[in-house]
Amino acid sequence: MALLEVDNIRAGYGDGPDILKGLSMEIEQGKTYCIIGPNGAGKSTLLRAICGLLHPREGNVTFKGEVLNKLRTDEILRRGISFVPQDRCLFPDMSVKENLRMGGYILRNRKELEDRIEEVLVMFPILEKCGSQQAKTLSGGQQQMLAIGRALVLRPEVIMLDEPSLGLAPKIAQYIFDIIAQLKDAGMTIILVEQNARKGLECADWGCVLDLGYNRFEGPANTILNDPRIQELYLGRQKQDRQEKTA
Amino acid sequence: MSDTLVSNEVKPIRTTESLKKPSRRQKIFLAVLLMLLVSYPLLQFVVGGLNYWLHMLLFTFMYIAMASSWNIIGGYAGYTSLGHNVFFAVGGYFAGVLLVYFDISPFLTAPLAGLVSMALGLLVGLISLRTRGPAFIISTIAMVMLVKITFDNWDYIGGTNGMTMPPLLDISLDLVKFPFYYYMLFIAIGAVYMSYRIRHSKFGLGLRAISQDEIKAEVAGIPTSYYKILAFGISGLFVGMAGGIWGYYLTYLKPNIFLLIILAAQLVLMTVLGGKGTVAGPVVGAVLFIAVNEFFVANLGFTELNIVATGLILALVLIFFPSGIVGTLKERGKLPPFLDWD
Amino acid sequence: MNEFVQVLLFGLTLGGVYALMASGLTLVFGVMRIVNLAHAIFMILAAYIAYFAFTIYNIDPIISIFITMPVMFFVGIAVYWLFFARIKGTARTGELTVLLTFALALMAEGLLGYFFSNVYRSANPPYATQALHFGPYILSAGQFYATLMSISLIALLWAFLKYSRIGYAIRATMQNISAAQVVGVNVERMSMVAFGIGMALAGASGSMMSFLFTFYPGKHWEWIAILLALIVLGGMGSLGGALAGAFILAISSALVGHYFGFTWSPITFFLALFIILLFRPQGLFGKKMEA
Repeated sequence: MALLEVDNIRAGYGDGPDILKGLSMEIEQGKTYCIIGPNGAGKSTLLRAICGLLHPREGNVTFKGEVLNKLRTDEILRRGISFVPQDRCLFPDMSVKENLRMGGYILRNRKELEDRIEEVLVMFPILEKCGSQQAKTLSGGQQQMLAIGRALVLRPEVIMLDEPSLGLAPKIAQYIFDIIAQLKDAGMTIILVEQNARKGLECADWGCVLDLGYNRFEGPANTILNDPRIQELYLGRQKQDRQEKTA
Repeated sequence: MSDTLVSNEVKPIRTTESLKKPSRRQKIFLAVLLMLLVSYPLLQFVVGGLNYWLHMLLFTFMYIAMASSWNIIGGYAGYTSLGHNVFFAVGGYFAGVLLVYFDISPFLTAPLAGLVSMALGLLVGLISLRTRGPAFIISTIAMVMLVKITFDNWDYIGGTNGMTMPPLLDISLDLVKFPFYYYMLFIAIGAVYMSYRIRHSKFGLGLRAISQDEIKAEVAGIPTSYYKILAFGISGLFVGMAGGIWGYYLTYLKPNIFLLIILAAQLVLMTVLGGKGTVAGPVVGAVLFIAVNEFFVANLGFTELNIVATGLILALVLIFFPSGIVGTLKERGKLPPFLDWD
Repeated sequence: MNEFVQVLLFGLTLGGVYALMASGLTLVFGVMRIVNLAHAIFMILAAYIAYFAFTIYNIDPIISIFITMPVMFFVGIAVYWLFFARIKGTARTGELTVLLTFALALMAEGLLGYFFSNVYRSANPPYATQALHFGPYILSAGQFYATLMSISLIALLWAFLKYSRIGYAIRATMQNISAAQVVGVNVERMSMVAFGIGMALAGASGSMMSFLFTFYPGKHWEWIAILLALIVLGGMGSLGGALAGAFILAISSALVGHYFGFTWSPITFFLALFIILLFRPQGLFGKKMEA
């Protein structure tokens, strides 16, 4: 049985139309998954449905055998799934340390929380340096680091990242992908949604292509990366470019 | 940005309401109604003693005009004004001053009073409608307070004691309400017609877009600030006119009677109850409100409970029928054609 | 010069109380993004409680906060549960909710008027009419104590928000509601708690009001208009802004009242509102509004 199973879910926002129309996916422990697809395909919606910000209208989200559908976000966080939303989603007037503290909001034990914050700061020395700076004053890359660090405070088993490289300069984005690689090496299960499909697939084991609310293609990341149809449809490569790029 | 559906608050896509032309039946209904209303006072010569009803009717016409006007900013544009009675007061005092000091009849100056109110609306709107959000509501409340304090302290217009005005002396008691009746009817027709025309115009469409999602409206190219300010100004026009006539009708003006928040509250209630954002809604709401209010005042008469009732009904409508009578009927497809003017 | 300083001190000793009143209002706005037009009538409700506690049981109005605050906290929770919990989650809640608070204010005003009539009331503990002397200047004892208490309460509020777990959650919800949800904050519950706290602050304000001003149910419109002007000036949702706005306007209105006549002093608030909307609509400490 897979660690996390998404079984034919339908989901949408408020009274609005279905965005996910019958999506299924299996997430195995320790692997890194990259989800790509055009705008409106439901990539963010999928992540939100998994971590409880949205409840599926039909179908099940199962984690270690337990159905997550009706659970609140804090209950899902407690079970070991963390989420790094798009656009960092930080608390702008709180300091780096306070943001990390909020990451551990569901932890009641003060000491445990402090220890976890320490761990994250050790992992991201840059954050240690700007410890008492307000989050809104950080650079894009630092903010993304903080967002990831915040999710790590809970020592999750599964971490989901929604477009972590968005809006970052290529060098900084690369740094973020390096961090993701580190997490991968540490054995974490990672679900990555990326517009920068190439980079995302490069650091993943498995790729899923979402379109119009369905999981259209999936397979080993390498295969997806090199498949010509997908390259044309989603990776934006024209037929002519291919010769140059493979050089 | 990536996904088009970014926030959790996607509003359901409403099917495009066809802005249909009124049917033949509707036109006949309207013509008959107007004929009845115009000829009603003539019954005075036949039956006599109808002054109470003439009063109630002209009072209703006035509120129909005010509710329909409020609807333009509060219903179409979605910006709640809690100080609309300021326009009423300003119009009333403007016409009143011209009568008391310059002997010009409010019947002549009422349209001017309306324009003055409109100017005030444009001015205030220019300051407070530049931002989205609650600043506007707050500024309408502040507007009432500002005007009230100014009028209270302004000796030229009588301060807190107000001004008394010369009544129409040389008309018999039987006929004295006639000019007011017809004038208010005229104002009501004007306001409702204006509301109808706005609803069926590009301007009205723009306002509705603003009320649904202002950012998207702006992105779509609608000049939101300009439209909002214009809507607020226009919403003061007929209210100011009505105020000019009403002061003359009452034969006195006092800040206290015009500038109480309860009047603004009643206006909001009427429109929300009837259905804000529709043409017929404010009319229905005004008629219903006045009828029920008369009934309660006649039988119970407690002013405090009156206030409680206003609040309670407003709360119930907001929680259970936010689209009001006309709106809810429309959503359920049960709106009778004579109420469907959208 | 002496005269000027005297008026200044008068304003200063009122500023704290205004700040206390405004703090509850701005807190609720910051968390729930709604303008609670019923805030002032609840202050007056608390004033009645304090007034009767004083006249019947001889409880000092300032001490009465130990009654009014908890009572109003629970009133707040009840009101939230009855009215606001229901309409959350529908689109366009903003306008609707403000109108709902408007309706609530009307109901409360009517009920208070019905039960207590519109008689002007004011509690008069001994210090309400005493004066304190600081050199050549005279301070109203009542105002002075009230402002001290108000500032203490605001400091407590600030500490609570800064250091307690719930305080963190409330601040998080105020700063970025989506992020708060992501880290597991129950934003619904936080809204309810924040509303309760806002009402508790209104309760304390009411206790102060009971002896500082004459009150009657209908007066709340004046008060809410003033408080709204205060928080717009300071920046809606900002507690520091509420404090700043309160002191600035208290002093300004005292000056206006002194040099132009007391009937003109309330106008300061409303003129200030329009001026700030003209030049800096987000207020002194506020952020640009999102729709």
